[in-house]
Amino acid sequence: MSHGDADAAEGKLDLVPLIDTVMLLLLFFIMTSKFTTEEKAISSLLPTDKGQLSNPQTKTVEEPKQVNIRIFPAGMEKGYQPSEYRDQLAKMRQPGQNIDFADFYIGANPLLKVDGKTLSRSRDAKAVSQALDEVHGFVMKSLETYESGTGERKDQHPVIIHCFSGMSWRFALIAYDAVRAYEATKATFKFSGNPDELARMREVTFAPPRIRNYSANELGNELFEIIHMK
Amino acid sequence: MAKNKKLYGTMFDGALDLVPLIDVVFLILLFFILCGRLTVDQRTEQITVPPTRTAAKFDTKGWDRIVLNVYGSTQNGKPPRNTIALPPRPPWVTSAIDDYTGYKKLREALNTVHDKAEKYDDPKGTGMKLPKVIVEIRADAETEYRVVQEVQQVLSDTIDPANNMLPRQGLDPKSLKSFVNLDFTTRKPGEK
Repeated sequence: MSHGDADAAEGKLDLVPLIDTVMLLLLFFIMTSKFTTEEKAISSLLPTDKGQLSNPQTKTVEEPKQVNIRIFPAGMEKGYQPSEYRDQLAKMRQPGQNIDFADFYIGANPLLKVDGKTLSRSRDAKAVSQALDEVHGFVMKSLETYESGTGERKDQHPVIIHCFSGMSWRFALIAYDAVRAYEATKATFKFSGNPDELARMREVTFAPPRIRNYSANELGNELFEIIHMK
Repeated sequence: MAKNKKLYGTMFDGALDLVPLIDVVFLILLFFILCGRLTVDQRTEQITVPPTRTAAKFDTKGWDRIVLNVYGSTQNGKPPRNTIALPPRPPWVTSAIDDYTGYKKLREALNTVHDKAEKYDDPKGTGMKLPKVIVEIRADAETEYRVVQEVQQVLSDTIDPANNMLPRQGLDPKSLKSFVNLDFTTRKPGEK
């Protein structure tokens, strides 16, 4: 009679196979589990009736009305030549490095200086929330001055985000997020995530690239254009 | 004595009491089952997406989804900053100025996805057939903005990566393979 059979005869349960199985399961979960951040998303719709894709019959000679959000390295001001912006940029950062501070402009409203370092602090939720609140407050206050009529939100002037191409993605996305938050306060329906609903919302897009060759001279030209944009 | 025998009987028998061990192991197992997330290769740990306020988890039933990773500064510099990847394909390095290889390969991959996808008519009346696919741009907070800009141009199919990223001129909009429904991956502040 085997050991297991003897235990069974005595009324004892052989727990060894159970423990083996549970240990293997445990090992599997320990090895395969990853405690990652729960990611979410902000939806966007690229326009199909503008630029290269537009129908020539619908083109208009009238200058389109739009709200421009301009984002560029903090401290840069109007009144310089492209070559001077190129030199300022070279002093501000080494190639491949980030620009930590950005100036946000919406029309003639006073600027907001945004600290990118604070926004990158993943463990300091309070500081990040505070930095986000500042941007949201600034965008809400500014966009309120550009409200036109009381029609549907899709009839409001489109918002175009003009971010300097050498800035970090976080600055452009935060501006986009703030506009979406503003729109959520004005919307007549709650966005469920269904892409069909995006057509009923205000158009918020990122401006297409101004340059293709990202040499120092071209970056100076790009800064000149964004800083002097109306 | 009878009570003590009941409590410590197994020790006197020379057999080990495994019940507490099993209890603990089951609790650990339960913890991993409930808290562990089995991540797929589409979502790499080397990308830290920016925090935002309006981030939400959307229910997009009936739509296909592809995830496009854009890397920021990574450990050991591999893959380099601004690299793009459409898993399970290997990443495409786009960090060099005037190097459009990555965008060209992305367009080729997108063409394949577009051909296979279910389509719907553009509600704006351009005559375009748009794919029922959401492209999730999962860009690191430190990615250079220009890369996300260029990726959006490639997605809209208004430029030709095989021709130095020049605009596609004189084409019938119906022939374009545009992806217009985008999601920008983000996280709530404080979520690590």
